[in-house]
Amino acid sequence: MRGIQLSFSNTQKLRLEKALAQLESFSSKLNSNATVIVADKIPVDEDAALKGHGTLEMGNDVVASVCGVVERVNKLVYVRPLRARYKPEIGDIIVGRVIEVAPKRWRLEINFSQDAVLMLSSMNLPDGIQRRRTAVDELNMRSIFVENDVICAEVRGFQHDGSLHLQARSQKYGKLERGKLLKIPPYLVKRRKQHFHHLDQYGVDLIFGCNGLIWVGEHIDVKDVMVEDQVNKSDPQNTHSSSLPGSSEEPTDTPLEIRQYICRIANAITVFSALGFMVNLDSIMETVTLSLSLNLGVHEMLEAEFHVRVAEQEAERRSTSKRRR
Amino acid sequence: MGSFKRKSQEFSNEDDIPPSKQLKQNDLLGADEPVTCLHDVSYPEGYVPSASTSGLPQQDSKPAKEFPFPLDPFQSEAINCINNGESVMVSAHTSAGKTVVALYAIALSLKNNQRVVYTSPIKALSNQKYREFKEEFSDVGLMTGDVTIDPNASCLVMTTEIWRSMQYKGSEVTREVAWVIFDEVHYMRDRERGVVWEESIVMAPKNSNFVFLSATVPNAKEFADWVAKVHQQPCHIVYTDYRPTPLQHYIFPSGGDGLYLVVDDKGKFREDSFQKALNALVPANEGDKKRENSKWQKGLVVGKSGENSDIFKMVKMIIQRQYDPVICFSFSKRECEFLAMQMSKMDLNNDDEKVNIETIFWSAMDMLSDDDKKLPQVSNMLPLLKRGIGVHHSGLLPILKEVIEILFQEGFIKCLFATETFSIGLNMPAKTVVFTNVRKFDGDKFRWLSSGEYIQMSGRAGRRGIDDRGICILMVDEKLEPSTAKFMLKGSADALNSAFHLSYNMLLNQIRSEDGHPENLLRNSFYQFQADRALPDLEKQAKILEEERNSIVIEEEDSLERYYNLLEQYKSLKRDVRGIVFSPKYCLPFLQPGRLVCIECTKVDVDPNFSLSEEVTWGVIVNFERVKGISEDDANKKPEDANYTVDVLTRCIVQKDEVGRKTIKVVRLKDAGEPAVVSLPLSQIDSLSSVRLVIPKDLLPSEVRENALKKVSEVLNRFSKEGMPLLHPEDDMKVQSSSYRKASSRIEALESLFEEYEIAKSPLIKEKLKVLHKKKELTSKIKSIKRTLRTSTVLAFKDELKARKRALRRLGYIKDDVVLQKGKVASEISSADELTLTELMLNGTFRNIKVEDMVSLLSCFVWQEKLQDAQKPREELGLLFAQLQDTAQQVAKVQLESKVQIDVENFVSSFRPDIMEAVYAWAKGSKFYEIMEMTPVFEGSLIRAIRRLEEVLQQLIQAAKSIGDIVLEAKFEEAVTKIKRDIVFAASLYL
Repeated sequence: MRGIQLSFSNTQKLRLEKALAQLESFSSKLNSNATVIVADKIPVDEDAALKGHGTLEMGNDVVASVCGVVERVNKLVYVRPLRARYKPEIGDIIVGRVIEVAPKRWRLEINFSQDAVLMLSSMNLPDGIQRRRTAVDELNMRSIFVENDVICAEVRGFQHDGSLHLQARSQKYGKLERGKLLKIPPYLVKRRKQHFHHLDQYGVDLIFGCNGLIWVGEHIDVKDVMVEDQVNKSDPQNTHSSSLPGSSEEPTDTPLEIRQYICRIANAITVFSALGFMVNLDSIMETVTLSLSLNLGVHEMLEAEFHVRVAEQEAERRSTSKRRR
Repeated sequence: MGSFKRKSQEFSNEDDIPPSKQLKQNDLLGADEPVTCLHDVSYPEGYVPSASTSGLPQQDSKPAKEFPFPLDPFQSEAINCINNGESVMVSAHTSAGKTVVALYAIALSLKNNQRVVYTSPIKALSNQKYREFKEEFSDVGLMTGDVTIDPNASCLVMTTEIWRSMQYKGSEVTREVAWVIFDEVHYMRDRERGVVWEESIVMAPKNSNFVFLSATVPNAKEFADWVAKVHQQPCHIVYTDYRPTPLQHYIFPSGGDGLYLVVDDKGKFREDSFQKALNALVPANEGDKKRENSKWQKGLVVGKSGENSDIFKMVKMIIQRQYDPVICFSFSKRECEFLAMQMSKMDLNNDDEKVNIETIFWSAMDMLSDDDKKLPQVSNMLPLLKRGIGVHHSGLLPILKEVIEILFQEGFIKCLFATETFSIGLNMPAKTVVFTNVRKFDGDKFRWLSSGEYIQMSGRAGRRGIDDRGICILMVDEKLEPSTAKFMLKGSADALNSAFHLSYNMLLNQIRSEDGHPENLLRNSFYQFQADRALPDLEKQAKILEEERNSIVIEEEDSLERYYNLLEQYKSLKRDVRGIVFSPKYCLPFLQPGRLVCIECTKVDVDPNFSLSEEVTWGVIVNFERVKGISEDDANKKPEDANYTVDVLTRCIVQKDEVGRKTIKVVRLKDAGEPAVVSLPLSQIDSLSSVRLVIPKDLLPSEVRENALKKVSEVLNRFSKEGMPLLHPEDDMKVQSSSYRKASSRIEALESLFEEYEIAKSPLIKEKLKVLHKKKELTSKIKSIKRTLRTSTVLAFKDELKARKRALRRLGYIKDDVVLQKGKVASEISSADELTLTELMLNGTFRNIKVEDMVSLLSCFVWQEKLQDAQKPREELGLLFAQLQDTAQQVAKVQLESKVQIDVENFVSSFRPDIMEAVYAWAKGSKFYEIMEMTPVFEGSLIRAIRRLEEVLQQLIQAAKSIGDIVLEAKFEEAVTKIKRDIVFAASLYL
């Protein structure tokens, strides 16, 4: 039952089981014999094979160092772990929380085995000007991010000392405010072309961090830097805070309606991760639409009945897409 | 906040300038100087130079750097722009002093605590600039593929390729750089590497400014417009033709013994002395004309050597007239050396200088090992240098090249033989520049030097402040047209055109980053910009045509149009019927000689005919024959299918145009004209009559033909009342075809319809129809223009992008626009063919071979020169190479299947095994002179290849990291340590 902590009635249990069984039947059987657990030998035809991630060479054998599925690309053999901790790759979009403001850098908790580092120089200055960072900038670091701020960034790579470095390429990265942070198992987030989503109809921004942290928040327009410069010029005192996306000086609060949408989307994601389904934009949006069409309240989405409905809908969706193929 | 104020100052300066194109002849700064420069600004569309900020106080206007000499107008103009914080494109001759502008931008950035990046196209140039800047400012770093010095410095000198990959990786430099200086930006038109500039400029950080330094290009404005559009910021253009020292152009005819001034320092072309020069050429050539003709491309004066050769005479004369130092440009490395060897009897230096040269030479060579000092190239060079003669080309050891540059700058080399590469980069002028040839081999054929190349190379003539004029001498060994010469000497510089093309590495890097879209890059490319440029013209054209169309007003247009359509229909039906009836199948039996035939007159004007009946005439069939096609299998065709022409005797007007080509017009019998036999296609037959005449066999005398035609007229008159008896298609010609019957019944129906049209009876009907027809033509023209408009707004390269993405998908590099494992490997590789190398790596080829074998195999990726008589690598290496070829074949095949335009053969043979043995030996630890004995290549070329090989290895290390194979990574690292040693990686003298 995938460890769902809910009290199902008997019929609900049956329906859920049926849906899950149906889903199971869709998953390809090809890889079923390729699953390995730690220390399993991986059959390799010749020793020209390249041993990739998740493998170890023990004598003449190649053994798995993680539980997962053996993947082969040409002669490269590696193990794709199931249910593993997040493992960063260059270019990943992640959401994290600042835990320390250190000299010239912020330290971030990103659900990885070590903390990530965001250098001051890897961050665009709030006034958008290109220059070297000065001691003054360093003193002002707290006006950009302080502890417990939630920010989103891109994985830049590992430094020589093994530390993980992040960067914020453009204005759309940075502090996230007025929203909700969700934590789901990172393997449920698939790497996509787009991780930033603006849901126009709900006025909501959705960021799927590859590290399993998901941000649902009120939509904020990324302002054009050139325009911003001119607006702020008359009021230089405010430049540091005002040009940040989502600055606090905006007069209005988040409207109730948007707050409800945020919660609705967040709950949809929660349901998905509880059921152990891959999270992606289309299925989440379908779930939200489903909850709206059923006239469910936000809190009702977390009840057993909705879980079952979502499972059934997912089974339906995949069977149709299967047939289409 | 200083930067804000700086910005505001710039805005206030602009307030009095309207945000439109403005051109001002700058004579404010140098009123007494004749030198002018053009200054122009490109604004991005919709850019408002902001009024809100004009009130702010101006910042102190102390320049960031002051120069000890008075600035030229173009320099101070460009510096003004930089001071205002706006991008500028400086287009001037090599010797004009563009570096001053770069220096100022660097000084300004350093003052404002901003980073500045300086990129140049060539590593050697980067090294030189690094030294130059390091002397000026201390905070300077260097990054090329070979060396990295102080990458945290504020001013970074690098090659453009490095800058591009830094931007892809999101290096922190990209967030701190305020000014990016692109030197020699006209390299953008380079077929292979030009695209790197476009990528770099498109991806450059949004808030930084640019300084572009370029040779003179006529379309600098277009380039600036592009930058303004892509980066949404104004971009200034400062253009000057100005040369600090004027040039005189001479011609030295081959075999002659004098110089002829053809363009004087005022820029006037002297026709008379040009002719004299050419006349001097002819007699001298006659003696050995044959030899010259067969071997002219081998360079000048084959066979003659030593003191008799032209080049010797020339250099001697130059020295006598004290026109030294001189640079002699030639277009191949071998020719360069050959010419230098002919100077062996000349000694241009005194003993003091000789001692100096020797000291400098050996102190530079000191860093080489003893074995390397004995290299033939090193030991052969010194005696030459001591006599004041130098050679400079890419085949030299880099260190030798640098020594020679230094010696030249110090004035110890009086006569330098160089290739084209010497014409770009550092300021190394001479008094005289000699072109030993006016033709150049450009890959597949010899061609005249382009005026752009000529301008670039002649830019080396004339030392500022030393010579009052520079001298250019053209050695001409062939007749060249005055127009060609004029074009070369006086023509404009080459335009800056985009050489954009796609590469897999580029696509993968773009797809990989969240913001990157390959489509975006394409849309912002200079290529697209230039394509879009043509649009307004087309739009305008369409508009004019539309206006013209709308100005045509016709009464009763509706009914006229219906009538017109009906006519068209009728005519096309008639054509159909004729096509059936006069298909060879039916009509051949009736084309006997003597039959009277009704044929269409040749249309006199282009205007179509609107009467119901075509203008026809009569003639007599003489013969018919099959048209002989070009292809052989024509003969096998059935008689029915072949094409036929009919020879008809009729009245014609024969005209000869000036070329002697005859045009024959068929006219009516009554008209003036001569009787002639013409060949007509079957389609021109209108109808066949049932009457046959007896015609004389011999039609050659014109009276006979005249008589025959007279008979035709008689027959016509006889039948004029009841009409000529025609062959009936169905009854006589036995045409049995359902489509014929259908068509003919429809014709009848249409004919009855014509009666109903009142408008047809109007006397002006013909004119009206003509007008309507014109209108219709205009409409279709407009349509076709609009179609091209639509297709050109579509992205250039769109199809290729699709095809390349398809190839990447099929090879498993990307899926749903997400870069997969393989793609990540390939995106790391930018210095070799990424796909083949990735496949090779993932196929485990490198896994079980020795490090030396691997290095040797990788050498095939970096060696591009073709050697004729290269030895084949030994068997083990040969096997590896075969594997590489297999892989390349597969990769190429997948690309071809994905509809990427690729020549599989060419692609596979682009990997050359020529230096495998040498590189193998080098990795084994051989001395450089040992590996030089193994291959017949130039020292410099081999060194360059090995250095590039090291670059590839570094990228492979990153790739191995990304797939997590530690063993392989260690192997690549070992390979690097094995090849990175001694003379091949000897540090540059400039560092």
